[in-house]
Amino acid sequence: MNNNAKIGIFLCKCGQKIEPMVDLPVLKKSVAGVDGVACCDILPYPCLEPGLNEINQKIQELGLNRIIVAGCESRLMLKKFEQKMEANGLQKGQIDVINLRGHVAGVSDLSPKEKAEKGSKLIKASVAEMIAFTPSTRKSVSIERPPVVLGGGIASFAAAHELAQEGIDFMLSIPERDPGVILDHLCKTYPGERTHYPRLKKIIDEVLESPHTTLLQPGKLAGLAGITGDYTLSFAVPDAMTRRQYAAGTIIACLDGELVPPGPEFGYDGKTVLCQPEFEEMLYEEKIPDGHTVFWVCDYETGQPENAQLSARAAFNMGKFILQNNPKAGVVILYNEQMPLPVTAAERKFARKMGIIWVPYDKSVRPILQADFVNFGSINDHLEHELPWDQIVLSPIRKMGEKSRTAAKILGILHEDKEFLSTHHAKVRPEMVGREESYLAGSARYACDLTDALNQGRKAGKKNAEMIKKSRGGALFVPQVVCIVDTDKCVACGQCQELCDCGGIGVAELVGGGLPRVVDPMVCTGGGTCAAACPYNALTLQNNTNAQREARVAALAGQMADHEFVAYACSWAGLPAADNAGNMGLKYDPAIHILGVPCLGQLDPSIMARAFLEGAPGLLLVGCSPEDCHHSFGIDHAWSRVNLMKKLFVFCGFDRRRITLAHADMNKPEELIKTMESFAKAIKALGPIEKTPENMSKLQSIYRLVKSNSRVRLLLSAGLRRPWEHTYRGDQRCALQYEREDFISALKEEFLKSRLETVMTKEKRPFNIRELASYLTEEKKSVAEQLGELVSEGHVNVQYKEGKPLYLSVN
Amino acid sequence: MITFQINDTPVEAEPGWTVLETARHYGIEIPTLCYHEAVSPSGACRLCMVELRDGDWSKLVASCIFPVAEGIRIYTETERIDNVRRWIFEMLLAEVPASPEIREMATQYGVESTRFSVKDPDEDCMVCGLCTRACEEIVGLSAISLMSRGVHKKVGAPFSRPTEVCVACGCCVTICPTGAMRRLIESVRETPEVTLTPLAV
Repeated sequence: MNNNAKIGIFLCKCGQKIEPMVDLPVLKKSVAGVDGVACCDILPYPCLEPGLNEINQKIQELGLNRIIVAGCESRLMLKKFEQKMEANGLQKGQIDVINLRGHVAGVSDLSPKEKAEKGSKLIKASVAEMIAFTPSTRKSVSIERPPVVLGGGIASFAAAHELAQEGIDFMLSIPERDPGVILDHLCKTYPGERTHYPRLKKIIDEVLESPHTTLLQPGKLAGLAGITGDYTLSFAVPDAMTRRQYAAGTIIACLDGELVPPGPEFGYDGKTVLCQPEFEEMLYEEKIPDGHTVFWVCDYETGQPENAQLSARAAFNMGKFILQNNPKAGVVILYNEQMPLPVTAAERKFARKMGIIWVPYDKSVRPILQADFVNFGSINDHLEHELPWDQIVLSPIRKMGEKSRTAAKILGILHEDKEFLSTHHAKVRPEMVGREESYLAGSARYACDLTDALNQGRKAGKKNAEMIKKSRGGALFVPQVVCIVDTDKCVACGQCQELCDCGGIGVAELVGGGLPRVVDPMVCTGGGTCAAACPYNALTLQNNTNAQREARVAALAGQMADHEFVAYACSWAGLPAADNAGNMGLKYDPAIHILGVPCLGQLDPSIMARAFLEGAPGLLLVGCSPEDCHHSFGIDHAWSRVNLMKKLFVFCGFDRRRITLAHADMNKPEELIKTMESFAKAIKALGPIEKTPENMSKLQSIYRLVKSNSRVRLLLSAGLRRPWEHTYRGDQRCALQYEREDFISALKEEFLKSRLETVMTKEKRPFNIRELASYLTEEKKSVAEQLGELVSEGHVNVQYKEGKPLYLSVN
Repeated sequence: MITFQINDTPVEAEPGWTVLETARHYGIEIPTLCYHEAVSPSGACRLCMVELRDGDWSKLVASCIFPVAEGIRIYTETERIDNVRRWIFEMLLAEVPASPEIREMATQYGVESTRFSVKDPDEDCMVCGLCTRACEEIVGLSAISLMSRGVHKKVGAPFSRPTEVCVACGCCVTICPTGAMRRLIESVRETPEVTLTPLAV
């Protein structure tokens, strides 16, 4: 079976960089005859126009549908190949680039023939992957239903305004419809922004009058299900059991944060010592203060230094307002010296003219309030100066707020228990970043001012409009590498949703018993750790599947000599470091065969097990340092899976060091060489795992266990987080505590079961308990126990002969 | 098909190919520095100069950006070109004296010292812009760009501060022909919270 694969292999001479070092004709001969390979050519430069021309001609002539180019760094070249071959119908995943130059040609002192052999092993592994690969059909996304703007944040109007201007009908859910009231309440969330109100009012009026607007009846958001293009929203109806439901194409959540006053330790009393939002209310409702108003920008002291500039801006705007209306008043802004002033030169000049005084204070001397005066340490003379005050205005503490938290929870965008909604800054390429900015806007996302919130709303509106127009023109397609759920296998355990960092996983339907999960392909970033964690193998990373990787590692491991081993290197640390080492001409042990992987978190434990089953004596996994994982927790997930393998190795009497996790930095290739050399030395000392029937049966059992035992997989993914973290999402728990309690014993039981199954499936004859116990050198009692379980699970049949039970595998 | 000559050998090319691409296809090597197959050419380093002869006059063109044309005669190894390359290397040795890669290449062309004044003995970036093109075209970001003009031109992130736009993919480091990006990237990417301590040898 070769999956209709017609593979074209193109070997690059790369001028003087590959040809003299690697015996290309030998390499060609060795890979040309492999099943599935339709042609193998040596080209001077496959990456330049003439070479690309030849490849494209071959694709048309021979109907090639998979291309392997053995040349240089896939990180740099793959995109060009994908672009140039797109016209011939080749998509992501159908082209593979192997770094012959940087991983084979220059990095060792082997002879050209030996290097050709090493290259051929890597290429054959790629061929195996290509054969196992079934390209998915390109799916278009249809968004017929209207977008819904909800959440009630002020950014709603900016988003709605943008949609209205683009001529798209939308639904808007806001708690209040009177522009006057909306603006009156705005200072509670965005203080010091009065100057923007006239413009904002115009936007609100235009939105409310627009023919594209459908206002939803106010109500509490109760649920959301479905994926982009096919959402079902439900709102609670007061005093009724039923819920109002709406079909939505896209969702824009505009959520505002909450401002709370700092505690009494800042002197807050709600009368003369106020917080900014209250002070602004007072300013406009009652009167302009006469005496000295001191704005204390206390964000460094409240523990939110990142918001100091926001508060300082608000203070500055309010100060301006006071002085414009009452030139006799005094306005001082007291701020921590660490804060860069958030005003322009012109504004500073203006401030001087008006009499707003900016006073920095020593960061090591915290200002102290006393009646009528506030002390602060001066940064000029280190004296404690005093400022007279009649009114102190403190910075607010900014957070997401309970209301927004609840809404975010319902909308499934609350990924981590943090102060704000915005996820970390994703350190991946733009095409891998989720669409957060197109569905989320407002100060609940991160602390921001009104302009920023409105900009976010506008951006979300624009992105949605773009997407909707694209889909209506039939030009919106699902990204190639995204997760898909097999709903027949999904048991709705929700594990993936807890692990997923991009927020692409949600529930399929609103009501019902078990809610099978569904992946929104327009949100999924293709991180893939969820697929590797699924206890029931219900999740697949499309076009980059586990089966593909398994085929590749199996093919590579199967070719390994006694001292040779496989090293997985992640695209963000190990692989660039290895590429750079190759570029710099550094040398390392030729026993190392590097396979790239987007993130180590994508590696299912079954891949690790398979590598050993096929004969690899060792497996090295090189990833980022834990705090620096580009896919947030991928490296931690890999850590847990590696530890699982180590535990199983101990059960089997193999050395735990055979599988090792390593950390690298892309800019420290020399350090990577040390890592690889050290591991290579360890593996050489250990030698291969002897291929005795007993060992093979053990490896087979490990593979069977980690691949398909849902209990072990479930326990593994529940304890995946970093052991030093204090809070865990959902049902997850501290890995260390977990391990001591139940994991090891469960693992022991399940492993014994797996071994029993392996023996019985292989020999296909009835066994009695004593025979099995002595065969596996286990106690009779535990063997009997596990056999009992296997019988009750239906994997093993029991028959009685002379009153004694005999067991036979059902397979 | 366009037919023309490289080093008196007739060659064929499709419209749109450059002289460099055609030459490499026919196994004729032309040295390059600021050129990389993965990104668009820019013709900045002038190392890939070839001589274009027409009758009794000739001119030098940068082969990485010069499109092929019917009947032209290209020479890749002439005295004039050799002279230009040596001049370039001599200037590069003055401009980027700290780059071992450049020094090694220069030695191959018999240039081991420079008559120009060395402004900064630690300089290793020749501002060819390969890294910025890689960041824009391959990665799809523009975390780094060429800043300032003329002799003050340099590579860096906006305001010369670490930028969160940089995803630390290392494409610029891999593509850099002088090895300067290894140093420069550290002032661009945000330093990870945990850094690996170098191991003792």
